[in-house]
Parts: sequence; C-alpha cells; structure tokens
Amino acid sequence: MTKAKREDHDTHPRRRGQGELEAQVLAALRQAPGARTAGWVQERLGGDLAYTTVITILTRLHVKGAVSRERVGRSFEWTAVADEAGLAALRMRKVLDGEADRGAVLASFVTALSPHDERLLRDLLAQDPTEGED
Amino acid sequence: MGVFVFLPLVLPLTAWPVARLAEHHLHPRMATWLLTGVSGVLAMCSTLSLALLMVVGTAQLPGNPLPDGWSDPEVREAVPYDEIAGKLAIPTLILVLASCARAAWRHHRVRRRAGRALEGLPATSVVVLPDANPYAYALPGRKDRVVVTTAMLATLTGPERRALFAHERAHLTARHHRFLLTVQLAARANPFLRPLRTAVTYTTERWADEEAATRIGSRRTVARAVGKAALISRGAPAVTLAGFASAGPAPRRVAALLGPAPAARLWPSLFTSAGLAAWGAAAGTTISALSSANSAVTLFLILKAATPL
Repeated sequence: MTKAKREDHDTHPRRRGQGELEAQVLAALRQAPGARTAGWVQERLGGDLAYTTVITILTRLHVKGAVSRERVGRSFEWTAVADEAGLAALRMRKVLDGEADRGAVLASFVTALSPHDERLLRDLLAQDPTEGED
Repeated sequence: MGVFVFLPLVLPLTAWPVARLAEHHLHPRMATWLLTGVSGVLAMCSTLSLALLMVVGTAQLPGNPLPDGWSDPEVREAVPYDEIAGKLAIPTLILVLASCARAAWRHHRVRRRAGRALEGLPATSVVVLPDANPYAYALPGRKDRVVVTTAMLATLTGPERRALFAHERAHLTARHHRFLLTVQLAARANPFLRPLRTAVTYTTERWADEEAATRIGSRRTVARAVGKAALISRGAPAVTLAGFASAGPAPRRVAALLGPAPAARLWPSLFTSAGLAAWGAAAGTTISALSSANSAVTLFLILKAATPL
C-alpha cells in the first residue's frame, strides 16, 4: 500500500514534467556531434529513465519535428533538428492552432486585419511624420 | 410584478449604447473597469432571474422535490405566462451553466497548455521563440511571462520592441486576463452582453497601449509598433467579417495613439461631451443594474413568502 502510494507520488511530478523530459532528451542529443542511438541518450541522461521511456520521448519529439531519425540496422539513430526554444515554439504553435478562441484567453498584441483595416492602417502610419526616426 | 421578472433578461440590451459611449469617451482603464463591472452585475442578475423562473417551472412538474407552495396560484400570478416561461427556463439555465463551465474550463486549459509548452526553458520573464509566425502574448501564470516570436521582433526597431514589451507587461501587471474572463463568462450567461465583451477586449488593449506609451514616453512609437505588428500579422484568418467596412481594433488603436492622450482624471466634469458620456453611462448602468436586482429580489421574496416554514 505504502509502496504503491510512494510510486504514485513519484510518477506524478514526472507526468507533469513531460515537457521538461523532452527538453532534457533534446539537450542531450544536441551535445552529440552526430546521430546517436536511444541507448546513448539513456546513458547520457544518467540512466534514471527506462529505455522505453527514452524511445517514447524521442518518438514524440520526432512527431513534433524537433528530431530526425535514420534507420541503422535494426534500430534508429537520432539527430536533433531544433533546439529547446525551437521545440517550445513548435509546442506553442500547436496550442495556439488548436484553440479557436484563444484570443478570449491570451491577450494578443494585435488581431488580424481586414483589407479595409490594412489600407486604413497604412494611411495612418504614412501620416506619422517621425516614421523611420529613433 | 408582471413582466418585471423578465427585465433582468433583456436589460443587458441597454448596455450596448453604454459600451459605445464608454469605449469612445472614457480613459481605457476606467472604461474597462466600468464595462466589466456592468457586465458582471447584469450577468449575475440575469442568471439569478433565470434560476428563479426555473424554480417556478420546476415546481409545476409532478414529483419535484420543491415545496408545493412554490407552484401556488399567487406565485404563478407573479410570473406572466408562467407555464411556458417556467418550463423554458429549465433548459435555458442548464445551457447557460454548461456554457459558462465550458468557457472557464477552456480558459484554464489554454493557460495550462501554453505554460506547459514552455517547460524545459529557463524561467525568464521574456521568452523568445524561433518561429516564422509573428505573434506576441502575455501569458499569466505562477510566473508571468511574455512570449514573443523572432518573426515579430524582426519587424520592430529597438524602441518599438520596448513598446511591445511594455504593452505585454501592462497586460500582466493589471491582470487583464481576469477582466477578459469575466466578460466572456457574462457573454455566455446572456448573449445580449456580447457587445460588452468586444468592447472590453478593445479597452484592455487600449489600456495596455496607454501604459506602454507612458512607460516608454512616446505615443508615436507605440502606435508604430501596433501598426507594424498588425500589418505583418495580416495573413492570419480574420475573425471579423471582412465585408463590414467599420475600422477594426488595430487601426482604431493606432489612430487613438496618434491623437492626444486621454484624460486620466477618474470622473470628468459633467459639462463636457466625455463627461456627459461617462455620467450617462454610469446612470444608465446603475438603473439597469438596480432594475435587474429589484425584479430578482422581488421574485425571490415572493417565493420565500410562499414557502411554508
């Protein structure tokens, strides 16, 4: 009972930190000079992650377009394509694309323009005498 | 009593001219507070009155757990067309509550997901993401962050970038997401309050623009930043109807910034056009809110009197 409970406690923060795990795996791959196997990544991360977990994370990164893979023999070798910020950008894009009314939640700097608005805006900016200064 | 019971449901219509006046004549900070407050009060009155109507409706149904007194002829007399209104109120209230719950849940989901997308990055207050899609967001959370893409930064000059960051910081400092959530929930509670949501979305942006202008000391720079950002984001699908030839929020913001700063005084004098608008808005709102509250309370008292204790 107590063991099960402790395990529950252990897995919970891990589940929440999935994004962090992805970033760690990506960081490890980025340190490698070339393509590396999942086993190399697992070793590099200090071995507290199961091999299957590393594979899962690498596959997820591949789906997001942050790593590329190449079949070598019977397994894959992985190469980092994006850095941590690039990965965050891909993830953020997915969140924003998935939410139709995100404007109602996140205060965006600007909203989309109609053609009429665009003309109006160009006129307004053209009137501004200090355009191009400071 | 009569038709008074229905007043809280339709009185939000009076908020439309109020929203227009406040949007055009008041300082954005005050307009935001006023319109959000009005929106919240009217939505609560409307929902309360719907709930009371539902009680009358439910009390008619056989086998209901409510006191029998609630379907007495005296109570029914207070509600015109009680048969229809009471029964219509049941699905309507359920719909309103479900819609509000969904909006609130969605609000938190977007914030949670956006926060999670940034996991693994250093905990800085500004996050720059390499993305060809230009956007900038204020992301409230345990740690407030400004998220901006390289494409957005690339189009702005140094001072304009400072204007952008000052704008987003203003959103976070003034907790604008709370205003936005309030008016969004209100618009779900009563569709007549939708124009207030649109108005508050605009006034919070104007508020942040004005804060940014004060912070960096140049209204023109903020205007240019808003204008340029809007022009490069134009590829995004427009939410507004393109056929509508009225100016959208971005050109109006730029025009407002190129004009003189709005008076920061809390309550302008009654003898100016801005003052007349402000006081008119306040008076109209107070009357609406009081009438709403009055009929909600009256119906509540009737039901209370009909409850055998």
